[in-house]
Amino acid sequence: MARDYDHLFKLLIIGDSGVGKSSLLLRFSDNTFTGSYITTIGVDFKIKTVNIHGQKVKLQIWDTAGQERFRTITSTYYRGTHGVIVVYDVTNGESFANVKRWLHEIEQNANINMEYLTVGNKNDTPERKVVLTEDAQRFADTMNIQLFETSAKDNINVEEMFMAITRLVLRSKLDMQERQNDRTQNDTVNLRKTNKQGRKKCC
Amino acid sequence: MLAVHRDVVNIVQAKFLSAEVVKSIHLNVSSLDGNWCDEGRILALVEYNKTFALFILISAKPKPVSISDLSIETVIPIDRNFSCDTEPIEDSQCHIIFIITYKKTKLSFKIEIGVESSNFASEVIRSKEVSSHNSPVFVWLDKYLGTMNQQNRNSSDLTEQSDLPITRQHIAQGQTAINRESMLKYQLKLREPEYTQIQEFTVFVGTWNVNGQAPTVSLRSWLSTDDDPPDVYAVGFQEIDLSKEAFLFNDTPREAEWNKYVLDGVHPKAKYRCVALIRLVGMQLAVMVNTQHYPHVSNISYDTVGTGLLGKMGNKGGVAIRLQLHNTSLCFVNCHLAAHVEEFERRNQDYKDINARMNFRRSPLAIKDHEQVYWLGDLNYRITDLTTTQVKTLLARNEMTTLLRADQLNQQKERGNVLLDYTEADITFPPTYKYDLNSDTFDTSEKARPPAWTDRILWRGKGIHHVAYRSHMDLKISDHKPVSALFKSEISVVDQNRYRKIHEDLLKKMDKHENEYLPQVTIDQTEIIYDLVKFREPQTKEIIIANTGMVPAEFEFIKKLEETSYCKDWLRIIPYCGSINPGEKCDVKLIVNLESDLDRIYDILILHLKGGKDMFITVSGECQKSSFTVSMSLLCRINMPILRLSKEELIQAEKNNLLYSVPREIWLLIDHLYRHGLKTRELFESSALHEELIKIRDWLDHGSLDPIPGSIQATAESLLLFLSYTKDPVIPFNLHEACIAAATNFQNCRQIIVTRVPDLHRNVFLYICLFLQEFLKYSNDNGYDAKTLASLFGDILLRDVDRNSKPQASRGKANFVYNFLVNDLSSSIVPPK
Repeated sequence: MARDYDHLFKLLIIGDSGVGKSSLLLRFSDNTFTGSYITTIGVDFKIKTVNIHGQKVKLQIWDTAGQERFRTITSTYYRGTHGVIVVYDVTNGESFANVKRWLHEIEQNANINMEYLTVGNKNDTPERKVVLTEDAQRFADTMNIQLFETSAKDNINVEEMFMAITRLVLRSKLDMQERQNDRTQNDTVNLRKTNKQGRKKCC
Repeated sequence: MLAVHRDVVNIVQAKFLSAEVVKSIHLNVSSLDGNWCDEGRILALVEYNKTFALFILISAKPKPVSISDLSIETVIPIDRNFSCDTEPIEDSQCHIIFIITYKKTKLSFKIEIGVESSNFASEVIRSKEVSSHNSPVFVWLDKYLGTMNQQNRNSSDLTEQSDLPITRQHIAQGQTAINRESMLKYQLKLREPEYTQIQEFTVFVGTWNVNGQAPTVSLRSWLSTDDDPPDVYAVGFQEIDLSKEAFLFNDTPREAEWNKYVLDGVHPKAKYRCVALIRLVGMQLAVMVNTQHYPHVSNISYDTVGTGLLGKMGNKGGVAIRLQLHNTSLCFVNCHLAAHVEEFERRNQDYKDINARMNFRRSPLAIKDHEQVYWLGDLNYRITDLTTTQVKTLLARNEMTTLLRADQLNQQKERGNVLLDYTEADITFPPTYKYDLNSDTFDTSEKARPPAWTDRILWRGKGIHHVAYRSHMDLKISDHKPVSALFKSEISVVDQNRYRKIHEDLLKKMDKHENEYLPQVTIDQTEIIYDLVKFREPQTKEIIIANTGMVPAEFEFIKKLEETSYCKDWLRIIPYCGSINPGEKCDVKLIVNLESDLDRIYDILILHLKGGKDMFITVSGECQKSSFTVSMSLLCRINMPILRLSKEELIQAEKNNLLYSVPREIWLLIDHLYRHGLKTRELFESSALHEELIKIRDWLDHGSLDPIPGSIQATAESLLLFLSYTKDPVIPFNLHEACIAAATNFQNCRQIIVTRVPDLHRNVFLYICLFLQEFLKYSNDNGYDAKTLASLFGDILLRDVDRNSKPQASRGKANFVYNFLVNDLSSSIVPPK
């Protein structure tokens, strides 16, 4: 079928209520920001097509409700997801502490080839920052994931962060395809080997 | 007419008078208006009294089901001002643009390529042909011009949308990929001048009928006589092999041989790479490009058409190669048309057949759809009405004009019979046929055929500038001389940076529109809290869903993973799905009706928009306990009305000793019926008022010194309700099958009741049966017989798990209960242990 993109990926943004998941998405998709807080009650998505190494990647980015009471429902939206963005609020230590829980939830629901990274949002008012970059980085290193500190309000690092997760997902997909190709090639080689051995026996 | 569309044709026909006959229709047409694309159009060709008109109808549905789905948008009379054409959507596999021009009006439609479109187009073209011969009168159209649906596209809409011709609502409806893709292509095509620049490429086209000879001499004197190497070569041969094998099996060693000579003969100052080599019997065509251009060649495709023996064999016909060079589509056609002087009409026909039947795989384009077409070959047109001697004399006198006027190709072309839009450069070389082999002498054989320009090269398309047109006398191995033409052709070359920028720009805009046109709604509340929820006392809350988006929103409450329904059984949602137009609202009722024993109700509903987001709505409320829904066992362990006890006391009471052998509430109800209802007709069948039942429920649950409120019928119905809703049915579920099986034999039934039914339930069962036996003593007054009561109580005492569906095995249950209404029960009563 004719398509205007080379890859279609579904990304999911998760994290505690009020950390700025919707704001990050709005900044990335529409390049807008609104200071007024509207809690997301449900899941919503936006479309954004990006270009990575000349490949057109169409992203369907899902923004989820962060409230605790919706956890069981939102976890069902992991299905078919290629990449997850776990967001915390650098001015809210509890939201950072909960990143571990969110990562755990990813493990519970993830497909094998799901990529994820973590994002400390609201990184625009140093005096209110309580989650130090070093601590966050140390945590990210132990979890072996990338860390981004962003501000949807001041448009800092948002594009970079979304591009990073997209690159991760794209690379994972291409790697997998390569592995599959390798496997089929190996199979062919093996077959040939068996044939040769068979012939030797005959002689 | 396609059979599948006959029903639609009938509906469309209903739009017209019976004398106005719908000849052909085309469904699923999108109307393209510059920057706009409207789907849901139907084209209809209508005939009245040998005049034709094309109607553009708006259809409310993809396939209209009634006349009311259709309205006439535009009508165009088909007369000599009318013309139609098709234009490809570059590289679209399945769609084409159908263009209708009438005077200064130009309408474009996107239609799917297929049988339907080709049938429809040929009907329209045929009607145009008929009309051109008459002077059609179109008074009959006047009545439709008045009813035409005025388009409400005001100018502001147009400016707002001006850079994207997309019916966005269709994207939201999941048709994204195809629409986005073709619209992106369309937009890119429109903006092509912004990201392309014209570069001149030298194109060398050569044709030679080699008369079945094998190659023996270098082709340099034909293929590389110019100083500079051409960018593109198209070299065509005819008659490379005249053997039977070649004709019958299309197999010949000559292909490789000639091709080798071609590769050896191309210009030495450049390296060439073959784009494609194609052959049909004796016709062979090779297209090569300078290797440096090869990376910019794409969409290579080819096909062959035989028009020889039986109209299809490959001894005559054409072979063609198409490709895209940078951003320009090129097509090279090498043909060998029918021979003999008098067969010019056959040659015209061959030409038409080649055009009609050439079918490039992986490309929807026909020959004429290419931006540049180069037509070469042995076209076989001769010089007419001049004898061999006359021709030779004129040649000797160099009277080319006279000779060319006698050339059949020039004559037929002038009459529009062949190669209509093609151009040929002036011929300055002598006829290329027929020579004695290995000489420059015209045919000296007995036949002494008049010399002719059988070998020709023509072109069609913009930006082609011819540089040279010549024959090559040095090559003498055939009875034909090779011909070549050199062109400077304008090729549209893409500036990758600019292209990427424009492409990204368009993608960004499409993303923006796609997001804007996702279905959007708001709901006035996402947390619904009910007042104290009481047994069978429904409460309704309303939410308002407002469509705040730009497209109709289809909403539906969907079930959560691992749940069977979109809401719990205590809730009803009306409507649970629907469609809301932009700017409109929909009230949704959430009705809670408690029929089971719950402390509180709580659920999260998922309101899903088709092709859009999901919203969560939380419903909750505290529930009031009722004797109707708790277990009979609990009721037998408390000595006061249920609501006089706290929740903790009730939990505690579960562990109490039994205080009663039947629940107090049943005793109260039956006692009342015994005292006041034995002689009441239709006691169990008259529906009591809802309020009366509520009052009795409260009387039982709260307790009161007053007598039971309401009518005696209300008490009777309350008893039935009580038995229907109590946590476990009077006869436990697991015994139902045994009961039904035993129903023919009272002793067996009795056995089940005595040995298998738990004490408390047996007590209740027998207590009710004894009451019913007593009730039956007054049959004359109350009008009931045992059968009626048995079937009434059978479904209740042996209640199914699912209360809301039709009771199962009613007859068997009734038979079971019947046993206990007509037999002596004294032996069934087990003394307390």
